[in-house]
Amino acid sequence: MSTLTLEFAQCRYRLTGLLPEQEELVRARFGALERAEACGHDVEVEVLHSADPHRFMPKLVGPVEYRISVAYEPSTVLVEGIGFSATIDRASLRTHMHTCESDEWFVDAFENLFRVLVSYRLFAEGALVMHSAAFSDGERGFLFCGRSGAGKSTLCGLADQLQLQILSDELNAVMATAEGFGLQAMPFAGDFGQMPMPTPPLPLTGLLGLRQGARPGLLACSQTEAVSRIVASCPYVNADPMLVEPLTDRAVQLTGRVPLRVLSFTKDTTFWKVLDREYNRPQPALSR
Amino acid sequence: MNTIDPNQHYRVDPHARFRVLDGEGIFVLQKAGEVLVVNPVGAFIVEQLGARLTIDEVVTAITERYAIDRARARADADSLIEALLEAGAIEAS
Repeated sequence: MSTLTLEFAQCRYRLTGLLPEQEELVRARFGALERAEACGHDVEVEVLHSADPHRFMPKLVGPVEYRISVAYEPSTVLVEGIGFSATIDRASLRTHMHTCESDEWFVDAFENLFRVLVSYRLFAEGALVMHSAAFSDGERGFLFCGRSGAGKSTLCGLADQLQLQILSDELNAVMATAEGFGLQAMPFAGDFGQMPMPTPPLPLTGLLGLRQGARPGLLACSQTEAVSRIVASCPYVNADPMLVEPLTDRAVQLTGRVPLRVLSFTKDTTFWKVLDREYNRPQPALSR
Repeated sequence: MNTIDPNQHYRVDPHARFRVLDGEGIFVLQKAGEVLVVNPVGAFIVEQLGARLTIDEVVTAITERYAIDRARARADADSLIEALLEAGAIEAS
């Protein structure tokens, strides 16, 4: 059995019990996050093999999307998906992953589990992992929260045309920093984005919701709507009865300091002029 | 036609959380991982339900607070409660 250590957002995840073919698959997808095992770890994921595929969610035929099942117990979080089930200990995040897969289905299963695990770890660190699109012009970071169909991938496609740096069109994290709030790329990209490098978070300049409209513009929204948009965008923890209250508190704090506005955009790049103008680069207090 | 029993009590569903922010109300529906926002009148109604008032008593409270006639208040309350029941945000108690 093999062991692999992945590091993301200052947390090391140690995978144990991997078959050699599983190790190679994880390395192929998450190799940019691999760290030497001697560095130690914060969270352990033990992979346990089962020969009986009938104890797991069956494979689907065709290009269909499915949702993992997450159940919330007082001391554990239970995750089930195609070919795997897992138990996450709430306190330590130590995880037992049972699986019958060792091919591409395994790495998909692991990625699904890793999303949940990272979301819990970052939440414990004070961050919010959000279904969102995010991009940067190198200095300013913009995050657009919204669930499927909100236009995240469309917006990232347009941002790509503008050669903006896309973090992800699927999941991004907002974390408290000494200067305010930062935007952390996640190792889970959809159609856009890439494996994040171990760099400090980008400053969160703009926190936005999305609405496709007749012309580009920014719309104000109440803090209640802002909080609802944030909470609705945070997968897993927003369905966890033990975390809903602190999640809502955190969304109130965030929107109290970084007002959320709604970007109305058309399917062209004109939205950027609106953002660039509205979120001006900070000018130096004194220049000669 | 009123479809909600005026003597019934309702409460926030055990799988939902409710709070008031700037006068508006937010329900977080844990089973669905979804959020509902209710306007200030809706937030007031839910707060009255939380105080164990019957629908009839809630309607009285609405008329006193918002100076609207009883029929209108009853219609508004029924409409909101039906929507919240359907969403799984509240339950009869």
